[in-house]
Amino acid sequence: MSGPKSTADGEKVAASGLSIFSKYDPLKQRVDVVKKLGVDPFDMTFDDIMSATRGRIGNREIILAGTNNYLGLTFDPSTRASAKDAIDRHGTGTTGSRIANGTYVEHEQLERDLAAHLGKPSCIVFTTGYVTNLAAMAGLAGPNDVIFIDADAHACIIDGTRLAGTTTVRFRHNNPADLDKRLARQKIPEGGHALVVIEGLYSMFGDIAPIDEFVAVAHKHGAYLYVDEAHSYGVFGETGAGIAEEQGVLDKIDFYSGTFSKSLASVGGFCASRHPEFELLRKVMRPYMFTASAAPSNICAAQAALDAIKTRPELRHNIMARAAQLHAGLSDMGFELCAPASPVIAVRRDNEVQAAMEWNWLLQEGVYVNLAVPPGTPESSSLLRISVSAAHTEEDVNAILSRFKALKDNGDDIIAEMMRRMQASA
Amino acid sequence: MPTDEQIFDKICELLKPYNVKNKPILRASGIMSDLEVDSTAVFDLIMELEDHYDISIPMEVISDVKTVGELVNAIQDLLNS
Repeated sequence: MSGPKSTADGEKVAASGLSIFSKYDPLKQRVDVVKKLGVDPFDMTFDDIMSATRGRIGNREIILAGTNNYLGLTFDPSTRASAKDAIDRHGTGTTGSRIANGTYVEHEQLERDLAAHLGKPSCIVFTTGYVTNLAAMAGLAGPNDVIFIDADAHACIIDGTRLAGTTTVRFRHNNPADLDKRLARQKIPEGGHALVVIEGLYSMFGDIAPIDEFVAVAHKHGAYLYVDEAHSYGVFGETGAGIAEEQGVLDKIDFYSGTFSKSLASVGGFCASRHPEFELLRKVMRPYMFTASAAPSNICAAQAALDAIKTRPELRHNIMARAAQLHAGLSDMGFELCAPASPVIAVRRDNEVQAAMEWNWLLQEGVYVNLAVPPGTPESSSLLRISVSAAHTEEDVNAILSRFKALKDNGDDIIAEMMRRMQASA
Repeated sequence: MPTDEQIFDKICELLKPYNVKNKPILRASGIMSDLEVDSTAVFDLIMELEDHYDISIPMEVISDVKTVGELVNAIQDLLNS
């Protein structure tokens, strides 16, 4: 093996000529293609956000239809007033972790109120939703435990298994019978337990888990069930406690996690448990112990949003009505949708380049949706992903539908125009 | 107990639908790097192998497997354990 070379100024470089970034060359090629189409979907900036449903890029007003702002509470008078008041009383940040100076009475009050809403004796608040699953999963699973995850698990669940460093087995998506088979097949080491991790509403396709069936399978094998309701808390269930509540099994869920960055209109996360011993994990969960706690304004905004979830069921009625309207409209136009109506509606496209072109065209026409491409998507699919908000009006949804109608009617011309633009910028 | 060759043949059979460019499958072939099978498809392939041999192939084992030959060896090890 040859050693490093030296440049003219004496800096050593690898003999191969490759840099630490060379492994990302294939990714760079993909990014370069997307950039030639116009706006980079994964590196875009809004010049302004004016409401839960409107943003601005340059002089163009954009309908926001991909922000996971399910209840539209980020601009609600109650959340804004609560956040402003928290800043006035406690400042802009805690500058410390939950185990040092970063726990205020508001953090604890929110934990008590979330626990009460979910009917659990314990709830722990974290700094983000991603950190929540990372911390709780790694805290719960020890070396002798085995984690079972759904094949379409979110990245934070996969990363949670990595941080836990324990044996992890995947089962087929939303398939309790397949989990049953894998639980029966897997040997659990002496002293270990099985931890099954699923989501309530899957964020890419918008499909819903049969949590009630998973409860039965997990508990039949003596496994613990962990449900991430990041996309469904606040939206489903009679009181907004999620799909587990809607399916009548909320009390059977061992661990229930969620985020503040969707229905709770803030930044942060939480995990509640029916096991009071969960409290002890505050002393072992490294992503809880060694990161700054959520800012007081974030905590107080989430508290106000939680109050809205409990007292304003009309928010859930609105979002479900808009989701049904949008799903029916797209379906009538002949678009292939990945799941029945829910607040997440994924439109399947033929390939990544087509999806990227259409995403750019929609933005140009004043509608922001999410572009979702492999490897972050189930079935290696390319998607235009829409998330509906309770703040959307019937007219907003009609406006979104009209752009998709144009896409359907003039798709070939739109693609041809985008191709010309790409060639011109080559 | 299946032989090494039988496991290799089974993997080749299951890889077929994912090997879209129909590249020759050798033991030294990188599953993702040479055969261009994406990570989602690799996990689907693993689940099919788990069901066929009635074994668990944990994710941490898969993360160490780069080539078809290494996958054959991993399955042999799990069948023998």
